[in-house]
Amino acid sequence: MPNEVHKCRIVINSEARLLHVLRCVVRLRAQEAGVPSSEVDCLTVAIDEAASNIIRHAYGNRPDGRLALDVRTFPDRIEFLLEDSGPKISPDAWRPRQLDDVRPGGLGTYFIKCFMDVISYDEDFVGGNRLRLVKHFSPAGSTNHESTGQDRK
Amino acid sequence: MKVLVRTESSATIIECTGEVDLYTSPKLRDALLKEMAGLKVNVLINMSGVSYIDSSGIATLVEGLQLSQRTQTRFGLYGLRSNARSVLELARLTRVFSIFENEQEALEKIGKTQPFSGLA
Repeated sequence: MPNEVHKCRIVINSEARLLHVLRCVVRLRAQEAGVPSSEVDCLTVAIDEAASNIIRHAYGNRPDGRLALDVRTFPDRIEFLLEDSGPKISPDAWRPRQLDDVRPGGLGTYFIKCFMDVISYDEDFVGGNRLRLVKHFSPAGSTNHESTGQDRK
Repeated sequence: MKVLVRTESSATIIECTGEVDLYTSPKLRDALLKEMAGLKVNVLINMSGVSYIDSSGIATLVEGLQLSQRTQTRFGLYGLRSNARSVLELARLTRVFSIFENEQEALEKIGKTQPFSGLA
């Protein structure tokens, strides 16, 4: 991919106790890529929430699944690709809920939507789920970005 | 993540330290349920040691608030770090929780707060 400066891939079992490993990788890569520190925490939350969703909804909290995270950094953005081999997740599981009703749960997808510029679920991905999340961090003020919000391929 | 419980004059304090996520939030939930189940006791969560909190952790806090509403007690948070405060603000929950700067303020004011009545 043009201008790609770095990529890494980490694969973990679908165990919630390993989520902190993913968070460490996201923080490290985002910092190394030059993502502003104020954004690093937000990115970390977004990826953690996406991975948690996979553990809960794709694997039903089973710990024997696989969850892969690809992190690719570019001069102007950082991209995350989350893949699993579980059953297809219902689109509803990626849809944020309204905040007007105060109740436990359902905030994870809302955080993802708030913190990421592009959310793309690959419905054609065979054998599992693939979610692409993109955050632009440079050049500041540029409007020449991919459309923001939630897309379905 | 570590959870410690102690009792003060006006509230039970739950000290939470570390990262609260999908894996660790059940531990906080268990402590909350144990302290609040059937007891009319005000509960304060010391968040000063919480370095990370995700939506499952926030869901646990909302559950604590719901429990306090049912038992007619008070539920509050204090010592929030900026990242925890940010996610609560983003979720529009800072208007819902009683949030205090420190333990002294929390213990002084928790009994005087009004319960939030907009829970689902």
